[in-house]
Amino acid sequence: MKLRKKLALLIGIFELSLVFLTSGCKTPPAPPEVEQALLQEQALWGAGGSIYAPGEFQRYEHDLAEARKVLKQEELKIGLFRNYDRVRDNFRQVLQEGERIDSLIKSKKAALSQVIESRRESLHTKYETLDKLSLQINQRSFSRNHLSQADILFKEVDRLLAGSKYDEAKNRLDKIANLLDQAESVLRQQLKRYMDQAQITEWRRLAERAIEKSKASGQTVILICKLERTLTVYRAGQPVKTYEVGLGFNGLNDKLHAGDDATPEGNYQVTKKIGASKYDKGLLINYPNEEDIKKFNEAKKMGYITSATRIGGLIEIHGGGKDGLTKGCIALDDREMDELFKMIQPGTPVTIVGTTDPNNKIIGILKTV
Amino acid sequence: MKNLMKISVLGLLVVFLFTSCAKQPTQLINDSKAAIEAVVKAGGDVYAKDELKKLNDDYTAAMDEVNAQAKKLFKKYGKAKEMLAKVKTDADSVAQLIPARKEEAKNNAINAQNEAKAAFDAAKALLDKAPKGKGTKADIEAMKSDLAGLEAQLSEVQASIDQEDYFGAKDKALSIKEKADAISEQVNAAIQKVKGTR
Repeated sequence: MKLRKKLALLIGIFELSLVFLTSGCKTPPAPPEVEQALLQEQALWGAGGSIYAPGEFQRYEHDLAEARKVLKQEELKIGLFRNYDRVRDNFRQVLQEGERIDSLIKSKKAALSQVIESRRESLHTKYETLDKLSLQINQRSFSRNHLSQADILFKEVDRLLAGSKYDEAKNRLDKIANLLDQAESVLRQQLKRYMDQAQITEWRRLAERAIEKSKASGQTVILICKLERTLTVYRAGQPVKTYEVGLGFNGLNDKLHAGDDATPEGNYQVTKKIGASKYDKGLLINYPNEEDIKKFNEAKKMGYITSATRIGGLIEIHGGGKDGLTKGCIALDDREMDELFKMIQPGTPVTIVGTTDPNNKIIGILKTV
Repeated sequence: MKNLMKISVLGLLVVFLFTSCAKQPTQLINDSKAAIEAVVKAGGDVYAKDELKKLNDDYTAAMDEVNAQAKKLFKKYGKAKEMLAKVKTDADSVAQLIPARKEEAKNNAINAQNEAKAAFDAAKALLDKAPKGKGTKADIEAMKSDLAGLEAQLSEVQASIDQEDYFGAKDKALSIKEKADAISEQVNAAIQKVKGTR
């Protein structure tokens, strides 16, 4: 009987020990900071930690790896002997550093975004100016080709910025800057005479002489300013009427030869009134004059134009609409042409200049670019 | 004496068992590493960015386990082996996903390119038949120059596709379509302007 009691006692002690041991060996859970740090690392990576804070993110990754090693060492211990205090401290430090890096990434991204947005704005202002200018001068030019490409790239930049893809956006902005420089260069080349004060002075002199002549003789003269797209009728030196006119694809250039679509510059006169021109009524002028022929021959001699090139002619002031594009003629709206046709007689002097304004719109616009 | 012999043999057996389990899973490490590299080579950093990140993280965790065991007297690489094997399996699965994703991106880029081309052709056709009447000729000429710019950018879409930059190609194609549609709208407005003046 005694033996049975002893045995039962022993079994009881054994079972109690077993319960104690199992509960004591129960693996304590890893501190929540471990999981938080893993999620934080994913978030920082996703936010571009390696791009926007490379040094800090590398150190963070290193510290996290070290913290994980300590965790691993602790996990290898039997449950009863595990102590996560050091692990918790390590991961807390990592989390703190992660928060600092997160702020750093955000501030760097914001700064970068601001720089890129500001560059985009500045380039877009330039784009708008050049676009407006190219439309205003109404010239056939490669500038619109470049501008159109730049516009497409602006759309791409906006998409990239929306997706926080700053590097790619920056790359597109570099391309845009290049295209805008090319467009500007084309326009400046085309319009350089309109920014040249010596040339403008010469045009002014031509215009002033024509007006003085009208004043002195009481004669009617026509003054055409190509840049301003105006045709003014002067009588006895006084402006009687001003009309808006249209030119050709290359109207701002001085005509040199047939087919260049340029409008001639200089002193001419109306040689013939054409009642039924192809474009309503027409006033034929004596292009080419002596000076034009001299200039044409010199250009041929210098090899600027081929020997087969002809000087052209049949330059008229005609109707058809000021918004149309001519091949070198000066176009008015039909109603206004009818009015002018009545006022002008053959022999009327016609002076055509680029501009008389030393502060003309081209200078104004290109100054802002 | 007999008992001592038995204990010795048993001891040797235990030592043998432990040492046989103590070998680092070198082959598995190399295999999982190679599997991840295959993912990168297939374009994982573009088409499976998040998955690739997870694979790298899992590989690092597995290697942590290997290194932790390496420092122990009684090494058990069972868990590390499991982790490495999972990395390899996962990497193989990710590698299999990439061609389909790449193909999808390619198809999306080609579809966007076709849509951009169709929009470009529509604008061009509209411009060709647009009446060059009063007040529209200059606008139409300007729009023709704009279309020339679009054409240049369209060829860049093809260049991006050829270089397998499918996302870039799609973005550019979308922008071209947007601009071509805007030109078509402008042409229609010009046509209406002419109709209005008649």
